[in-house]
Amino acid sequence: MTETLPATDNRRRIRVRAIKSFLSQFLGHGGARLGVFALILFMAMAAMPNLLVGPLQTAMNATGDFLVSPSQVNLLGTDEAGRDVLNLIVHGARTSLVIALVSTLISLVVGTAVGMAAGYYGRWVDSWLMRMTDFFFVIPSFVLALVITPVVLETIGRSGNILGFRPSLFVIILVIGLTSWAFVARIVRSQTLTLRERQFVERARVLGTSNLKVMLRHLLPNLVPQIAANGALVVANAIYTETALSFLGLGDPLQPSWGTLLALAQRAGAASSGAWWYLGAPGLCVVIVSLSFVLIGNALDDTFNPRRRAIP
Amino acid sequence: MSGGVRGPGGHHVGQVVFRAVITLLMVGVLNFLLFRVIPGDPAAMLLAGARSSVTTEQMQAQRQSWGLDKPLVPDQLVSYLSTTLQGDFGYSFKFRGKRVGELIIERLPETLALAGLAQIIAIIFGIFLGIYAGWRRGGVIDNLTTGTSLALYSTPPFWLGMLLVVGFSTMLGWLPGYGSYSPGAGDGSFLAGLIDRLRHLILPVLSVALGLIGQYVVVARAAMSDVVTEDYMVTARAKGLTNGQMLRRHAFRNALLPVVTLITLNLGYVVAGAITVEAVFAWPGIGSLTVEALNARDYPVLQGIFLLLGASIVFANLIADLIYGLLDPRVR
Amino acid sequence: MNAPQTPGQPLLEVVDLAVDYQSKSISLPGIRDVSFELRAGEAVALVGESGSGKTTTAMAVAGLLSPNAAVTAGGVRYRGRRLPIDDDDAMRPHRWNDLSVVFQGAMNALNPVQRVSKQIAEPCILKLGMARDEAMARARELLELVGISSERGAAFPHELSGGMRQRVMIAMALACNPSVVIGDEPTTALDVITQAQILKLLTKLRKELNLALILITHDLSVVAESCDRVMIMYAGRIIEDGTVAGIFNNPKHPYTKLLIDSIPDPSTGKRISQPIPGDPPTLQNRLSGCAFRSRCPSAMNICALDLPELGAHEQGRVACHLYPAAAESTRFPSNG
Repeated sequence: MTETLPATDNRRRIRVRAIKSFLSQFLGHGGARLGVFALILFMAMAAMPNLLVGPLQTAMNATGDFLVSPSQVNLLGTDEAGRDVLNLIVHGARTSLVIALVSTLISLVVGTAVGMAAGYYGRWVDSWLMRMTDFFFVIPSFVLALVITPVVLETIGRSGNILGFRPSLFVIILVIGLTSWAFVARIVRSQTLTLRERQFVERARVLGTSNLKVMLRHLLPNLVPQIAANGALVVANAIYTETALSFLGLGDPLQPSWGTLLALAQRAGAASSGAWWYLGAPGLCVVIVSLSFVLIGNALDDTFNPRRRAIP
Repeated sequence: MSGGVRGPGGHHVGQVVFRAVITLLMVGVLNFLLFRVIPGDPAAMLLAGARSSVTTEQMQAQRQSWGLDKPLVPDQLVSYLSTTLQGDFGYSFKFRGKRVGELIIERLPETLALAGLAQIIAIIFGIFLGIYAGWRRGGVIDNLTTGTSLALYSTPPFWLGMLLVVGFSTMLGWLPGYGSYSPGAGDGSFLAGLIDRLRHLILPVLSVALGLIGQYVVVARAAMSDVVTEDYMVTARAKGLTNGQMLRRHAFRNALLPVVTLITLNLGYVVAGAITVEAVFAWPGIGSLTVEALNARDYPVLQGIFLLLGASIVFANLIADLIYGLLDPRVR
Repeated sequence: MNAPQTPGQPLLEVVDLAVDYQSKSISLPGIRDVSFELRAGEAVALVGESGSGKTTTAMAVAGLLSPNAAVTAGGVRYRGRRLPIDDDDAMRPHRWNDLSVVFQGAMNALNPVQRVSKQIAEPCILKLGMARDEAMARARELLELVGISSERGAAFPHELSGGMRQRVMIAMALACNPSVVIGDEPTTALDVITQAQILKLLTKLRKELNLALILITHDLSVVAESCDRVMIMYAGRIIEDGTVAGIFNNPKHPYTKLLIDSIPDPSTGKRISQPIPGDPPTLQNRLSGCAFRSRCPSAMNICALDLPELGAHEQGRVACHLYPAAAESTRFPSNG
């Protein structure tokens, strides 16, 4: 006969076991391991760039020769102003990652709120929210961002700080966040519709729990797996969009992201002068980080929705 | 339930078309509002960059046709919508008062050539590879294909383009990395001109196609993987069908559903996706027109392009819905 | 009491069949020492809880094991010749022509984007070489045979009810005039009334076409009206078999007794099905000795030490230490 543990201890044990089981399953995927490893690397870069390569080099304090290919002094070569490319991309990590993660956070929050409300309340709330979501889904978000950003920048101005960000970066974050939430909303809504019919929701309602509480304490925890798996893909998309927008000139040269570096490389004629290190390095970083998130997202999806098992 | 055209699915077609029209209308309204919320006098703003190159008569005509002297809503909105429906997108500033509609039509073929060719190549290679990989899961070739496809899918096409230019144009000198044709190449013979154009097409098309192939392989493989584990495949095997028969008669058709939907939706983003690649290769299509208009604050052009893109996405979604209804009897 | 005698050799002979499953580089035992015979026109039921091995046995006989399963011992003979159940290519001529399967129609066993008549006609075209019109005509015939009006042939599977889909599966299984039909839980997902209809249909067809039937089920009550013999499986082994009457009136193995007791019987006032206490073992946690001992009301010391062998008695076979004399002879019962 096993002893019965007090309820809270039991719950904690179960939770710990569940987390352990999830981790072992998730990390069982080769792709997940690669992705997590790469991300840790880049997060370290983003967290302490000054520690790794010193302060961001500008055209003023650049020390190298112009457009030198990788050498012992400059591991990744230099750009047209003599700046060390390695220095630029390590600092660029912070900009690119922060933009991608913050804008994804906005998408997830807005998307989850809309999707949960639509799925939970149903009927006319669902109908109107979904119409709005479909509309946002259909708008060419990239071109919208492309068009809005300079307009907003003209009104706000290019200098100063908004919440710690340079204006152009702030606008990019906002724009990406507001144009990608529709994707999240759809997924959250369909999950909510499935979950809504389950018993625990019934029980909570019968006990008189308020709608908001039901959504936050009961539905939301069960939505987390789906949100996480898709969130990784949203981040990958955000990285791509930011890189593309910055490449077209909407970034900030004083806080360059990898995309801005690519724009600078293009303008300096890196392609036609064969400076492969200058345009290869930032792009490779984008590919690696993007791919990492995709691999993690796929592994999460696989862990939470396992395919059919062949053992009877 | 809405009225409207009754197609093979009954009310389904009517509802879908109706929704598409409403969405298109909403895109138009958004377009209108976007460029009217710019602070300051809209007309001055909209014509500011062109004051020197636009004649006063044109300005007056624009003010009138845009109804800028009347209240914003509903008068201006209505006149905007009606002029747009008539095909009048206004005048560009940068290009000396040229009509936006003309500009767009001029540049469209180049973009369509680039994006269209890329899509065709991607569809052929991507789907075949993906279906093959999904059918015979496991093994070195499958893992290699999947890994490469995921990497390609995560690669920005414009960066790929820059790399290709460095490699094949700058270093090897095999292919041109700039523009869609070399002036004077077509003077000799039609064939010479055609070959010149094809040589210019290769690198940009490859940049776009490779990323798409990655996406299609991943989706086709996933679709086929799902199908292979379905019960009706066991039934097919029990019936004594050969592998080829199982694939062709049962698996393929079912795996096709998500793939076709993806392709159709992608077609709506054809132009949007081309913007950055055209910037890299100085390709004279809508993409570079967008960038030029952006840099010149040429709002009428931007407005026209935004509408075009919105319309093509709405249209692509509509076609995707209809096709899905045709292909999957469960939805009808 | 006994099955009617059919002269000549058995249609199907399963001899000492064993199947293992591969899971992450370890081998798990699926079924062991499974032997039985099937004669033309006979209906045998394979009964057991989930994990008992009944589906594995039937799928092995049909050559439809999943890729991670393999036959590790024994084999199957069809009309006296070895049936190549481990070789897809060699098995193909036998599939559907000699041996067909009726899957659970409630599942996705029918292609959702194809009309049902086309699916029924498919084996006629591919295996019998019929022309398309001929095959479609035969499909219509088969639909009428199972009690569906032929216009419904143009329907897609999702447009049909569960019972109708099951009938379609039956019609499809008969397309190439097989001698053996395996029914994989054909009535499990249906309501009681439809269940009875389908079983009646199966019995009628069996008699008309002289089919041999292997019926897989976890529900003993299904067996009584439709089968001649029953085989009870537990943890991958046959633990009892015999005629329907013999098993129902005089069950020997404690598990069989519990199974029969759990059937609701309106005449005794017992209306609710009572499940057997405890859970059936999974492939990973089968016990040594007799696998049933942890749930057996009559377990003895020897049950933990020795595996009881399947032994014959007058009415069938049983594998239980309660019947030691039976264990001495392990041949098939000589129809006595």
